[in-house]
Amino acid sequence: MWRTRLFDALVQGATWIAGSVLILSIVAVFYYLFTESRYAFERTFPVGFRIALQPPNSEYKDDLSMDPTASLLATHREGTDALDESEEVTRLPSHAELASMQPLVTATTQAREPHQLDPQALFRDCLRSPKRADQGERFLLLAFAMPSYSGKTMELTWEPDVSFDPAFCPYELRLRLVRIPEGVSIRPIVIDLKQQPRGRITLPVWEAHSQADWLNGYLFELEIKPVTSNTWATLAEFFKPDWAPTILYARFGMLPLLLATLLITLLSMGFAVPLGLAAAVYLSEQASPRVREWFKPILEILAAIPTVVLGYFGVMLVAPWVQQTVASAFQLTSGRGLLATALIMTVFILPTIISLSEDALRAVPSSLRDGAEALGLTFAERVRLVVLPAARSGILAALLLATARVMGETMIVWILSGGTPTMPDFSSLTAALGTLVKPVRGIPDTIAIEMGNVEFESPHYGHLFLLGLTLFVLTLAINLIGFMYRKRAQVSL
Amino acid sequence: MRQAEVTWQMGINWDALAARRDRVRQWRNILITRLFGSVGLLTTLLVIGLITTIAYKGAQTLSWEFLTQPPREGMSAGGIGPMIQGSILLMLGTLLLVVPLGVFGGICLAEYGEHSRIMRLMHASVAALAGTPPIVYGLFGLAIFVLKFGLGVSVLAGWFTLTLFSLPVIALTTEAALKAVPQELVDGGLALGLSRWQTLWRIALPYALPNILTGIILSLSRAAGEATPVLFTASIYYSSAQTAFGLESLRQPVANLPYYLAEGYRQPGVVPEHLIWGACLTLIIFVLLLNFSAILVRSRARRRYR
Repeated sequence: MWRTRLFDALVQGATWIAGSVLILSIVAVFYYLFTESRYAFERTFPVGFRIALQPPNSEYKDDLSMDPTASLLATHREGTDALDESEEVTRLPSHAELASMQPLVTATTQAREPHQLDPQALFRDCLRSPKRADQGERFLLLAFAMPSYSGKTMELTWEPDVSFDPAFCPYELRLRLVRIPEGVSIRPIVIDLKQQPRGRITLPVWEAHSQADWLNGYLFELEIKPVTSNTWATLAEFFKPDWAPTILYARFGMLPLLLATLLITLLSMGFAVPLGLAAAVYLSEQASPRVREWFKPILEILAAIPTVVLGYFGVMLVAPWVQQTVASAFQLTSGRGLLATALIMTVFILPTIISLSEDALRAVPSSLRDGAEALGLTFAERVRLVVLPAARSGILAALLLATARVMGETMIVWILSGGTPTMPDFSSLTAALGTLVKPVRGIPDTIAIEMGNVEFESPHYGHLFLLGLTLFVLTLAINLIGFMYRKRAQVSL
Repeated sequence: MRQAEVTWQMGINWDALAARRDRVRQWRNILITRLFGSVGLLTTLLVIGLITTIAYKGAQTLSWEFLTQPPREGMSAGGIGPMIQGSILLMLGTLLLVVPLGVFGGICLAEYGEHSRIMRLMHASVAALAGTPPIVYGLFGLAIFVLKFGLGVSVLAGWFTLTLFSLPVIALTTEAALKAVPQELVDGGLALGLSRWQTLWRIALPYALPNILTGIILSLSRAAGEATPVLFTASIYYSSAQTAFGLESLRQPVANLPYYLAEGYRQPGVVPEHLIWGACLTLIIFVLLLNFSAILVRSRARRRYR
């Protein structure tokens, strides 16, 4: 008797342990995906503007980044709070040197208040470390002319630094004239840099006659004013359409990735569902038992082909074909893109769709089929009016499961999608066709590609987890709905 | 009835209409029947084409040296021995971990799965986890096993991640197999005076074993071909030495076939094409061997237990 009891206790114990490991792993997956995403919210938001004082007919009028006298006011990862001699920031030359170099000068400083200005500590550029969205920043900019300048007016010109997009910035950006030099009459200037990211204003000339005199010239202020919390700013940017995490002014807008994943899913399901359902109907309704016996192992082989191999197959054979037929019309040199990915994804998902929907179709009791036949329905009508509706829940469950698998499939997209995050464009027929063959990048492959080179527990790492969480939530929802339909299918039959 | 009389009076030749409609129905029927058949044929052709292409391209590379030797000359020559050994190492450890957990987890689901609201929620979560993308498991493995537990990128972290990846599927197939056991058998066992767990162990489990084994092997073969769970948790690309099988090596990253292929594309031109085709074929054979052993085990087990 005690042996029976011991045995019972052992088996029950093992069952409970395995069950708790299962629960634990479920909880852990949810918990860690959420908590690791917190690193995304520790991010900072870089800002950078180039501002120059130019004569009205300057040769760099439209291209400020080429103007050697332009000042760069920026917070990004190359910036530090305390500048020293070793810093790669140009110290402003002395008054005598400047006189022979350039007629119009802008100068900036690490100081944040006008009374802290020091003529010995002026720079051409000012780089600072980026700030959180709820912390602001303030740059001061002096603008004056040298006595050698002969013109009557001068123009203050500004533009965003290369690759900086003010639309992605969570701050209010203002360029303001905070001090008008003596003897100059001009109305106050406040420019909203988000409305007007590049532009110019004309100023009356004011000349500085000595180094100490510099401080008495025009004093501008680039104000970076916080408007939201860091969390909101991070979330708001996450749903914007530009993914560029490694550039100086990093942007984490995952919309192109999400849309690419959805498009790939839509397109490949569009190919695979009619084919898969037709094959499933053939298998369950028409095929003789011998054909079925042959077909099932073939499906299992297809289902067993690893996705890396499918991807490689696509890159060697399908992508060149797409390039020759469609992509060459858009001057693309590679066939890697949405269409090639969707085609291979169709091959990947077909066996799943076929065998799961065949199971659902075969679960339909044969009495229904006999009844339909007795009513004189043709085969096509029988399938359409009786068998498919009866198997609807099971088929829906199969299709939802397949959708979730396509959405999360990584290697095929990694290898075949071309790897450039682009927003799909459906403004015209040609644009839509171009979108079809242009390179894209989905959520799962972005995680796979970038996780290899990322610094652990940095904001970029956090954003990759945020991407993973997005994917997880999407597939979770689809899977749960599929689970419900599967239950319903079991109950109804 | 009255409706029918009214329409009959309208002087329409209903027989002719019905005949025309029947013809349309027949044509449509033939069209659709052919369509279904040809789609089936298309799928078959697709599979055969795929397999023969890869087999044809890969077979030229396949040799004993290719399968056993490590890569030479900066991956551009030699074989893929370490990758195959690494894949086998990863699979063996995963097998050892996942089989007890998965089978007992499945028993737990089958026995208690409908008992309470919490267990129903757990059941639904396991079903959802079974469909969760492998990349999510890769991320999770990186966060918890590699970083939090401090295992580093290692075989151990790979084992745990792959275990987690195949656990839900195995638990669900075990549960389904146990639920398919006829109630009479269970009742018979209980009537003979066996306890609940003895009935499960001696009667239900042996009956369900073939399906359970199939589930285990199929989900392992999926794990064997999947690069993403081991991408950040266990993989190393460049490996010119043979894989060492020792306790020390469990803390080291390991080369494996799917990752070798994955990196092959990322760094185009490093690994020559014929080596990649050969590796593709090897991976397919590796996975198919697992599949065939599933079929074999299933049929042998059926014979033994019935």
